[in-house]
Order: sequence, then C-alpha cells, then structure tokens
Amino acid sequence: MDSRLWTLVLVFAPLSVMSFGGGQVIVSDIQLQTVVVHHWFSNQQFSDLFAISRAAPGPSTLIASLIGWQINGYLGAIVATLAMYVPSSTIFVLATTMWHKHHGSPWRLAIERGLAPVAVGLIFASGVTVLEAIHMSNLILGIGTVAVTTVLLYFTKINPYLLLFSVALFYAAVFYLL
Amino acid sequence: MLKEDAVTPSDVPEDFLESNALPQVPLWDVFTTFVRVGLTSFGGSTQAWVYRAVVERRGWLNDEEFLAGTAVSQILPGANPVNISLYVGQKVRGWAGATAGALGMVLPAFCVIMIMAMVYRMLAQYPLTHFLLIGVATAGVGATLAAGIKVATRMERHWVRYLVGFAAFVAVGIMHWPMVPVVSVLAPVSVLLALRRAK
Repeated sequence: MDSRLWTLVLVFAPLSVMSFGGGQVIVSDIQLQTVVVHHWFSNQQFSDLFAISRAAPGPSTLIASLIGWQINGYLGAIVATLAMYVPSSTIFVLATTMWHKHHGSPWRLAIERGLAPVAVGLIFASGVTVLEAIHMSNLILGIGTVAVTTVLLYFTKINPYLLLFSVALFYAAVFYLL
Repeated sequence: MLKEDAVTPSDVPEDFLESNALPQVPLWDVFTTFVRVGLTSFGGSTQAWVYRAVVERRGWLNDEEFLAGTAVSQILPGANPVNISLYVGQKVRGWAGATAGALGMVLPAFCVIMIMAMVYRMLAQYPLTHFLLIGVATAGVGATLAAGIKVATRMERHWVRYLVGFAAFVAVGIMHWPMVPVVSVLAPVSVLLALRRAK
C-alpha cells in the first residue's frame, strides 16, 4: 500500500479508538494532525473541509473522507473512512455483545432504567448545543422554525424529507422576499 | 447469521426466543432504514430520526432500550450516528445487522459529502446556500426536541428521574461540561437509585 495511505490509517485509526463521547471531541486533534503535524492543509483549507462536513448529513467525522480524498483521491477517501469507523465500531460491537445477550435480565433492566433519564437530558442538551452553534441571523425565524418543526414532528407522522424540503423552500422564499 | 435461519425453534434457548419475539428483520430492511435515517440527519438530529424509524414505526426497540442505546452510543468511542446504527442493527440481527446498519448510515452520507465537496466552492459563494443550511439544521433541532419530549413524557414518572435528566441537561447543554465524565458520575447514581426503587 502507498505510504500516504498508511499515513492516513495511522492518523485516523488511533483517533477512532480515542473518540470517547462522539466525533466532535476529536475534530481539534484531526486539525492538529493534518495542519500542524503533516502540513497537508492550511487552517483555511481545513475550516472549508470542516464546513462541508457540518453541512452534509450523517456523522461529522466524515471529514476523514474529505481529508482522505484530498490526500489520495477516492482510494484515500475510502481508506480514511474505514480507518475512522472500523476500529471504534469493532470496539462498540464487542462491548455491547454481552449487553444484547442479557435481554430481560434484572441488572440490564436496572441499567436501562437508570440510563434513561441521563439519555433524555443528553438529547435536550444536544438540541441546545446545535442551536448555539448555528449562529442564527434572524432569531424570530429560527425560534419559529424550531417551534413549528417540533410541533409537527411531535403530533404528526410527516415524512422527514417532505419536512426538510418544505423548510428549505420556505427559507428560500424568505431569503428572496425579505 | 445464516446459522440462525437454519435452527428450528426447539434448538433455540428460551431467553433467545423471548428477546426475538418479533419475526426476524431482513438485513436489507436494516440497511435501507439507516440509509433513510442517515440522509435526514442534519443538525445532529440522528437520534430523533432513529427513534421515529426504529421505535415508533418499526417497533424493533422499546423506549428504554432505545434510550440505553443512545447513552451507550455517546459514551463509547465512535461517531454517535454510527454507534446507534450498530446498536440497533446488532439488537435485531447480531453482527450482520450491525454491519448492515453502519453501512446504511455511512455509505450514502459518504457519497453525499463527496458530491458536496465538489460543488461546495461553487455554492459557497452564494449567501442563499448558508441560509438554507441554517434552515435545515434548525429543523433538525426541532426533530431532536420532539423526540426528547416524547421520551421524557413516556418515561416512568418519578421526581428522581426528572432530577437526574435535568442535571444531565444543565451539565452538558448549559455548562458545556465534557459529556463522558458527566455521564460517568450521573449514570451509576441513577442506576443505584433505580435499583433501590425496584426493591
């Protein structure tokens, strides 16, 4: 394998194993490795890649795919993506195997009951964190969007694509009319 | 997983039957479910769409299994969307299901991000692009809140649980303390309290 491909593996596989708490915790390490250590990108180039990964659907650590692509084309993209997800996924499945085997056991029920309120708190926390990161230019529009989508998704079975498409259409209308 | 298709019910241990009371889910369904979820996951809203698709529509998990899955997915290494797809896939179809779920989550998103990388420089010049992305991400927050309200109101009503949930929210959402230490303290306390109440 090409030495550049190996370097991609050596950059992303350890970060994958270390990403306790989710992808966002290793973004600064990815920046350190790719900008400061390996001089693959300038800070501006990195923040462009970061912006793309934030705008795209799916996990934010897909920035690894973009970096791999810049370094070694499609092969680089595939290798970097595998290095990002295979190590952490293997650990995850191994760690939860015991868990899935003990369906209905008393200790598992107790852990589930204990984790549930923590998980609910974290769900609301993630909503607030994203809201802070969005930098809404129009507060009323932003709060209105959150309120309407919350109500629609709470009370109806609206199709997710229809909802996202309608929101985009509405924002385009607002953009051109105001 | 083919092995499991071949066994007759009499060979299957009782607890296995109990945990898989539903008819076996085809791997293709696991894959396509997460393709759909993955492509709507804007603005960190993955768990909301997973809840809708997997708990509400398909009944693969109940509320508490789902919540335990989201908590474990966030604590263990790996991207939360990928981990939750592994968790659900593994629950319904073991290792093969976990692989199908994770592939469904990553493959289409990988294609989309590659296309976006190619057109981004072109589209980034227009202020409309950023404005639309803000709109879609804001809708993602709405999805997250709606799912949060649903699971919060369906949760067993007990003031200790509301207190624990509120503490987790304030510590991570308002104070921005790192999540792993917060959960490492709150989760054992909450589990012990749940055990005490069960007695």
